[in-house]
Amino acid sequence: MIIRKKYLFYVLAITSSFITAAVTGIDSFVGGQSAFKFDPWAFAFSLFFVGAIVTFLISLILSIKYKGKSVGAKILDPSFKQVRLVQKSEMKYHLVAGLMNAINTVGYCAIVSTVQDPSVILSFSQIVILYLLLMESITEKDVPTLVEIQSSIIVTFGAILASISLTGEFQWLPIIIVFLVVNPTWAVFSIYQRKLKIMRIRNKPNDSINIRLWNVVFSCIFTTVILFIFDIFTSGGHLIAAFTTSINPYYFLLLALTMGTTFFAYVLYIRSLGMGKASVNNALRASTIIFAIPFSIILLQLGVITDFSTDPVMLIIKVIGIVMIVMGIISFALTVVKAYIFVTVKTGRPLRETMQKLWNIRGVTHVTITTGKYDFVVKVSTRTLMKGYERIIKKIEEIDEVNKYRWASVLKDWEKI
Amino acid sequence: MISAYILITMQPGKSDKAIKEMRQIDNVAKISIIAGEYDIVVRAQVKNLEELLDVTDKLQMVEGVNKTTTQIIEKEISLQ
Repeated sequence: MIIRKKYLFYVLAITSSFITAAVTGIDSFVGGQSAFKFDPWAFAFSLFFVGAIVTFLISLILSIKYKGKSVGAKILDPSFKQVRLVQKSEMKYHLVAGLMNAINTVGYCAIVSTVQDPSVILSFSQIVILYLLLMESITEKDVPTLVEIQSSIIVTFGAILASISLTGEFQWLPIIIVFLVVNPTWAVFSIYQRKLKIMRIRNKPNDSINIRLWNVVFSCIFTTVILFIFDIFTSGGHLIAAFTTSINPYYFLLLALTMGTTFFAYVLYIRSLGMGKASVNNALRASTIIFAIPFSIILLQLGVITDFSTDPVMLIIKVIGIVMIVMGIISFALTVVKAYIFVTVKTGRPLRETMQKLWNIRGVTHVTITTGKYDFVVKVSTRTLMKGYERIIKKIEEIDEVNKYRWASVLKDWEKI
Repeated sequence: MISAYILITMQPGKSDKAIKEMRQIDNVAKISIIAGEYDIVVRAQVKNLEELLDVTDKLQMVEGVNKTTTQIIEKEISLQ
């Protein structure tokens, strides 16, 4: 089936957000259990310990071949063939992403154990976009534009407003944890997961199922090490307590449910990370706040969270927050200019060197050496045409080997999924 | 696997219907409508040159297609 690529990107990111909202609801319930309520360390370890087992089993099931393709390739990620070992080239990215996920999850568990309303927890996590924009300007081949910054600020303030009303409370400790622990680690984690997704393994695109599997395994190892060191210095027994709790059948099933559901949210998120920048992905994930509301209401009905305020002012603030989030996402989506540049080069110069020079230009997303009328077909992505001229065309003109080029703006495109 | 860009010039006013037909062709991975010297860029992914010929043949049979220029990809660096 050939559909418009941006639709696939939005479907993946928003479906992932919906599942994440459900997971946060389940986590609130699990985190409220007596074994975890006052011990976020144990909660984090148990999540990864049971998560590694569950994720491995799901990945094995998805590796089963059906009509020449794995089940995982048919339903989740076309790049997936089967469970495989980590390649040497991936190792450093997995180590960083695993460590960040471990720290992030301890912070997250500390929050869900104290604040049980998912719509509050999720709202503040959306501020991660600001961290991502800053990091992307350093690590990626593109710097944020005014539109990206504006949209991110709109989404962020929307998220803050949307988080206040349901319980009518504003708790500072979880917010500090979000700002100092959860958001920075999530930003680094997202960037490294994206780097893994856009890598090519044995000359084929990397798949999100193996990325997720190994991330959980590395996160489990790091959580165990951190918890072990913590226990030694504090003479605590968190690690043993967490292990004992994890193998209790009741808790094992609860943890398996939350980590099994999380697996699908993450696989879709990692796949969408391969299609767009981490900041844009996280802007789309802000929709989680909207999806979290029905789950908050279910938790309210189940008695997991306290009554929320029906004060009209609070409700209006909540609606304004949601509108701002939606507007921010729309402005992100509508301001991308893509183009092909067909390039011919002077003879007698090595094509590989010219290719690298073209690739080093900010905004270039694909460079291909081709046979035929043109020597290179370059694909670029920019927020405005003016930026396309300033940052791309001027740089191409500076390359001595380039003989002639033609710019062709993309008006609309479709891609096979 | 062989990948190629097929650059297409169209007769005016025939693009919409032609795109619908092109979306049904096997081994077409991506279609972009562009502004400039060409009207449409198709990216084909095929196992061998025989299959590439099938794709270009089918594209040339689409009503409104004036001319195709095939650029076979020898090397690629990509963010995605």
